[in-house]
Parts: sequence; C-alpha cells; structure tokens
Amino acid sequence: MSLHWKSRFIWSLCLPLLASSRSGYFETFDEELTVRALGDGKVASRFSFSTLLAGATPRNPQNLSVEDESQHYTLFPLALGQILREYAVTELHLTLNAGNWDYQRWGYPDEPDVGTGAQLWAWMGEGASTSVDARWRGLRNALAGLFCASLGALDEQLTTSPALAFAPQGALPAWSQPHAVRHAALAAEHVCTENLTPFLKLLPCKARAGIAQLLNPHRLFDADWHGMGLHVEWLPDTGVQVRLTFQSVTNPLRASSNRRDWSFSSTFDRTIDRKCPSASSSRILVTDPMNDGYRLTPTPWTYEGQQLTWTLDDPSLVGGNAVFDLIKQDVPLDVSMRWAVEFAHAARPPEAALSIQRSLHGASQAHGTVAVAIANAGPDTVRAAYLETMPWIVTFYLHTLELRVDGVLRPDLLQSLHYTPPVPHARATTLEAVLLLPPRSTLHLRVEVTKAFLRYTEHPPDAQRGWDLPPAVLVPLPFANSSALTANSTSVPSNANDVRSARRLYTRALLVDPATPDFSMPYNVVIFTCSVVAFVFGSVFNLLARRFAVVHAPVRGT
Amino acid sequence: MKPSPDVGIVFPVLVAGRLLLALTNLSETLKHDHQLSSPLTSYFNLQEGIYLFKNGIEPYSGGVFRQSPLFLALFTTVLPTSRIVASITWTLCDAVGAWALIQIWRARQRVAQTSRDSLIAATYLLNPYLFLPTLALSTSSFENMLGLLALMFAARGDASPSLLAAAFLLQLSLSSIMLLAPLILLLASSPVSQLASPRAFSGNGKKIWPLVAEFLVYTAVLTLTSTLISGGWAWVPQTWGASLTLPDLTPNPGVWWYFFTEMFDHFRPFFLMVFSIHLLIYIAPVCLKFQYDPLFAAFILLGVLGTFKSYLTLADPGLFISTASVFPEIYPYLRYPIVTTLLHLHASLLMPLFHHLWLNQGTGNANFFYATTLVFACANGAALTDFIWAGLRIAIGEPQDGYVVVQE
Repeated sequence: MSLHWKSRFIWSLCLPLLASSRSGYFETFDEELTVRALGDGKVASRFSFSTLLAGATPRNPQNLSVEDESQHYTLFPLALGQILREYAVTELHLTLNAGNWDYQRWGYPDEPDVGTGAQLWAWMGEGASTSVDARWRGLRNALAGLFCASLGALDEQLTTSPALAFAPQGALPAWSQPHAVRHAALAAEHVCTENLTPFLKLLPCKARAGIAQLLNPHRLFDADWHGMGLHVEWLPDTGVQVRLTFQSVTNPLRASSNRRDWSFSSTFDRTIDRKCPSASSSRILVTDPMNDGYRLTPTPWTYEGQQLTWTLDDPSLVGGNAVFDLIKQDVPLDVSMRWAVEFAHAARPPEAALSIQRSLHGASQAHGTVAVAIANAGPDTVRAAYLETMPWIVTFYLHTLELRVDGVLRPDLLQSLHYTPPVPHARATTLEAVLLLPPRSTLHLRVEVTKAFLRYTEHPPDAQRGWDLPPAVLVPLPFANSSALTANSTSVPSNANDVRSARRLYTRALLVDPATPDFSMPYNVVIFTCSVVAFVFGSVFNLLARRFAVVHAPVRGT
Repeated sequence: MKPSPDVGIVFPVLVAGRLLLALTNLSETLKHDHQLSSPLTSYFNLQEGIYLFKNGIEPYSGGVFRQSPLFLALFTTVLPTSRIVASITWTLCDAVGAWALIQIWRARQRVAQTSRDSLIAATYLLNPYLFLPTLALSTSSFENMLGLLALMFAARGDASPSLLAAAFLLQLSLSSIMLLAPLILLLASSPVSQLASPRAFSGNGKKIWPLVAEFLVYTAVLTLTSTLISGGWAWVPQTWGASLTLPDLTPNPGVWWYFFTEMFDHFRPFFLMVFSIHLLIYIAPVCLKFQYDPLFAAFILLGVLGTFKSYLTLADPGLFISTASVFPEIYPYLRYPIVTTLLHLHASLLMPLFHHLWLNQGTGNANFFYATTLVFACANGAALTDFIWAGLRIAIGEPQDGYVVVQE
C-alpha cells in the first residue's frame, strides 16, 4: 500500500517535469467507469480512458511536406500519436461494436456510436500535398494494423462524406483550407480479443492497474452487447484529447432469472486491486436507478449530480450518481449492487423517444424495397437527418421514395434531400434526407432498390450468405429556433455534461443477398461463349467467303 | 385464293389492340424483367434519371441512368412522365415502326399497295419479342422505330430524313453505327430486290462521301445538344461507354453478361475489346457480299446485332425477325427454318422460366439461365446463317434433279 502511494508521489512529481521539458505539453490521464442498471434488468457499463495533450493542436496538413516536430509523450499513446501526425488527422472516431443496441429497452447509450460492426470517421484538413482521400486510405490501413481489425476493407467503395450526420464533436482549427469528413462502416466486422489487446496497450497502466483491470476479455466478449471506441478530438482551450472507451451490456439475469444484483466480481470476474498511478482522476460512477430499493457496497465516497428528468408521458426518473473515487478509496474494490426486491419481468414504456426500424423487403435477388419506420413517441415535432451510406450493390430509386404517416402520403415531411448516386464498382451511395417527424406518430419511408449483379471476383467468401449493409443513422437536428431542441434531445441524463455529442440512432445492419454466379464456371463460360461466337462467326464467313457451285450428283448417299 | 384483309382495317385494329394491352397494368409486372429491358433501355432507370435531372442532381454522376440526354429533354419538356402517356407513346412508336416496315416493303416492291401489307404490319405488331418490351416500356421501342424510319427514308431515297433518323438512333444506341454503311449504300442505290441477280455495286459511288459528311454533321449537332442538355460530357461514358465497358452485369438474353461476370479481371479489357470489335468485323464482308442489295445487308447486320450486341434485349432479335417479312423471295431457300423455330421456342420458353427459378424462386442457379441464353444465341445465329445462305442461294435458281448446290 505504502509502495503505491510512494510511487504515485514520485510519478506525480516527475511526469509534468519530464513532459513539459521535452515537448512542452502537459499530459493528463483520467479514467472513469459508469455503471447503469437498465430497465430490463441488464447492466450497462461504460469505461472511458481519456488522455489529454494539453495545449497541443492537430497537425496542419499544409505542413505535411515539412518535417514534423518530435513526438515525446509520456502518457499519450505514441503509436496513435504517430498516426495522427503522419496523416494530419484533426478528429477521429473509430468504433468496433458487436450486437444491436436496443434503444427501446436501454435508452440512449453513453457513447452514441453503437452501430453494429466497425465504423470509422475522421475530419481532416484539405490543402495538403497528398489528398484527403490518400490520407484517409493511409489512416485506415494504419488503424487496421494498430487494432488488428479489417479496417483496410473500408475502401473507396464504402467511403462517404456525410457532413450533416457526422458533424465534428470537437472543434476544427481555423486553417486557410476547409476540413472534409470521411466515413465508412463495415457491418460484418467481428470484434474480439485481438482488438482488445492492442486497445489495452494504448493505456498507460495497460490492464494491470486501475479501472482497466476490469477489462477481462472472457467476460466482456460474453456480454449481450459490447463495443470499443477510440475518439480523438481537438478542444481549442485544452488540447488534443484521446478517449478510449469500452461499453458493454451484461445480463445478471442469466445467472438467476429474478435477481439482478451485480458486482465487479460477478460481471467482470475481477476486482480492482491496484490503482493506476498515472491517473489524475479515477472514478467509478454508479447511476442511481431511483425506482427500487437497493444497497451499494462499499459505501460510495460521495454522491453527485442533480436529478435530471427525462419525460416521455410517464416521467421515469433517473437519479444522480454514486461516486467511488479510486484514488481515495481503499483497494481492492469490488462494487456491488443488491436489490431489495426480485426483478419482475414486465412490459415497460420505451426508454427512447425516437425509434427507427429498417428492413429490406422482396423475394427477388434483383430488386426489393427498403422500408424504414421512424417512430416519434414524444410530444413535439422532431427534425432529424436520416442517413444511408449504402455500398453500390444496393441502388436506391429515388423516384419511388414515399413518406407515409398512417397510410397517408406526406411528401411535405421531406425537408431536403442530399444524394450522391453510387458508381458501380467504385463509390457508395450517400443519401441524407432531412425529415420532420410528427409527434406521437410513425413515419414510414419506402424506396425501391435494385441489387447489383457482381463480377465473380467481387463476391466475398461464402457469397451465398450475402452482404452486410451498414446501419442507417438518424440524427435529431435543431430547429431554427432551438426551443424544441431542448425539449427533445436532452434525453440522456448521465451524458448531459456532453451536450455537443449528437444523439445518433443507428438501425440494425441489413443482410442483402445479391445473385451469385456459379463460382466453379469461369473456364466453362469462357469456353462455351467463345464456342458459340466462333460457331456463328465461322458459319457466316464460311457462307460469305466461298463461292456457290452446282454439282452433278446422280447418286445420293454413299 | 382468299383476298387478304385490307391494311387500312388491319393496321388500326392491331394498333388499337396493342393500345388496350398497353393500358392494362402489365407494365408494372414487366418493368423489372431483364429480358425485356436492359439497364440501357429500362423505363425504371429512365424515370430515375428524369427524377434526378428535375431535382438538380447530375443524373450521369452515378451508375443508374444510362440513357441518352435526349430522353431527358423529351420527358422534361415535351412529354409528361405519367404512365398512361408513356403507354400511348410507346405503342405509337411501334405503330410508326410497323408503318415504316410496310413502307420499306412497298418501296422494295415499287408498288403503292400490296396484299402483303397487313401481314407485314402483323409480323411487327404481333411479334412477342417486340410487343413485350413495349409493354415493359423499354426504350428499345424508340430505337427500333428510328432504325426502321432510317431504312424507310433510305429506301424511298430521302437522304436527309434517313440520316437524321440514323443520327438520332446513334444517340440512343452506339451499336447502331453498324447500320450506317448499308444505309448509305442504300441511299446511293435502290431498295429493289437484286438478290436473284447479283452484280457489282450499281449505285452512284460519288454520293457516298457527302452522305457520310451529312451524317457526321447531324451526329455532331445531336452530340452537342446532348452535352448542352446534360451540362457536360459525363453522359458519354455513361451511355455510349457503358455498351463498350459493360459496368452493369444485369442478366439479359445476350452473351456478354455472364461471360464478363465470370471473366478473370486481368483479361477483362482484352475480351471487352474482342467482343466490341467482333461486331464491327461483320460490316465490311456483309456489305461487300450484298453490295447489290444493301437493304438485305442491313437486314443481316440487324441479325448480327440481335445476336451479339451488348445489353441485348428481346427487342433486338425481334426487329431482325420482323424485318425478315420484307424478304419473302428467299423463304423457299431456307435450309432449316424448323430447327431455327424450335430453337427459338426452346429459348423463349425456358429463358423466363430459368430467370424466375434463379432470381425469384432460388431453386435454380445462374447456369440455368446462362444455358438458355446460349441456346437463344444459337437460335439467332442459326436464323442469321440460314438467311445469309438463302440470300446467296436464290441467285442459283430452282434446283434441278441430279444436281445439288454446294459451296466450293
């Protein structure tokens, strides 16, 4: 115990000195774990590891040809810092998720990017000697290497530039050249231990101390929903912030059908028994569920937060947070929550005001219909951007786009439409529609699509399974007078301090089954088709080139 | 012999019948059919292009719309895009095509009216290969009409209208350039049947180059018009380029799509070149061999197009088959018309069936449909070679006992 205090004391003395003397940047590392009991008995936990490079600015791409300043970091992950400097990335968000986030039961997630599979989006400045697209390609390949994920597959055929739905979370430096966004999603990407190991390597204490000790892959990848994220933002007054996040939804009801008690040891099969000496703050927040009696052990260090309310007809209160300060708390720490009453399985009102369902209809492998149902359960009209970033294999036919509410055509609900048509074998579709969602009703959007016929080399392995289409995104937008905004979008109390983070809603991924050719046939087809062509060609030229003659043939046959 | 019905009655009756069929809801069922309309002729894609154009989105920036900008101009200014108007317009196209075919026949026979007129109208208006694409509102109906109009004006000796129709046709379909050579030869000579008495080209050779120049002027003007309509040159690779580079591998009755679906990537450009040049190879030999009857040369080249062009639809072989009605003099010399008919029957019955089994039912695979398209290519090839044989064989005359006609 005393050893830890001593080492921490020495670190706290040395680090700022070292950091400031070498690169002039002050670095801080903060870690936080939020645990929230969900209405359906599950438990959502969110790990957030944030490293701040105080006073730093992103690299201006116009200086890419000039040699960069030397990078000396103590806490900031060097492997990541090098990538950010090399490709002059201002803002970067990478998420790797598995499962479908259930907005209706779990409410809005603490980290908004919960789309199934891999998603990478970045804001980069223009004006460099290398284009944004070239740097984007380098970035995703570098991140693919860093995180052992198939991000290299997020190629030009999946890349889009949806500026409306993926607005910068931080700030963009005011350089002479504008910034551009690049976004790509790969729904088929699987998230597993091989992605977590490099993730932990970026942390100053790895998984050996602090909150990160709880990141036990055996339990995390067994959760009902899990996802990791990397967020790099520039905050003009503070500096460059790298935030590594891990979210999971675990189900205590798996062990017993009516006890939803949880603890670190039951959820993660680990306890926190060392403190991370590099962390300037290390907190565990347990959100007060407010509706039933429960007991937290050990006793929290303090409580914080006013009771934020979010109303949806029935006011369901979500309370403040019980705070465990790991720096001051004794270790080993095994926080547990025991409920007074048994869990009652019952129907519950939806946790989120908006919900979105997307499906692909039609039995044909050549064409079909995409149907989207967007329900607004709130009392106000919501203005929202609906974004589809389809790969080119599914082509929208916008002249068939229909908006219906209660079976009545409502073309007036489509405020604006931004559409980049797909280019076969080259570019994905971007469809950004700004919609008005009337209160207490469901908007049905239908559009006909065709499914492409691919070259045999373009099919993925196991072609008959089909292609995973990336999730669509719904982003509530402010009205011109933002009174309606406050009524509708401050819906996540636990994340209320981060007002700027958009409440993006992701649909489920879709599976499309384009027609497949016979993969064993290339030689046969070449031979058959060429034979027919040669046969007709030969017959025609045989007739055209040879002269006719009348021959005396008294005996027929031989 | 029973007097054949008057064309003045038959023609309106046939058109009215077609119009009634067109006004039913059949086009909704047929609009996605890959055998009736290709990505280059589909009405569904045309509507999408018009929608994008009207909403200020560049229609040629994506891969959906591959039709000529002239269609955009036609449907955004002159014609409304309602389904009924479309059905009437498309049926009228076929009526004009049938009328042009009758005129070609009359010009070939040098008579004002014949008893065969009704039959010719019927072969065009009742040919399922032609009226099904029209019901599906495939723009191939426009192409066929323009092709027949060009031939009709050429047969009548009206050079400018003929070349103008050919220039319009070229805007809609790049492969129709193959018809230019026989068309100009036809303008320089006569449409009267010379198949039985072959001789050297008897027309006025000096007329050829001014005609070519006139065609080039029309084409240049229309190309510039298209560029002005679409506001750039992006339409060229999207329309003409598509028939050469085959970016869309949607199945059709032709031989290109599966070949290039299964083609190894590094051989793709080579075989695209081979398949494109293969079409052009036929022009010179056919025009040289049938220099005494350029209308027949045009007919043979229609057969080549109907067999081997990229993005083939049933309308292309349909035009070839219907145009055959203008050449009744060679029918007695066909060697295997029954075989050809049976091949066509086989292919046209199995193609929709296997297409459905593959894409909708899921119980067949692509090879089923591919096999029937090969049979269809064989059927068209058989018709083509048989018509060439008959067109040459007629010069020898009636067979006599104890003698056979062979090729050296």
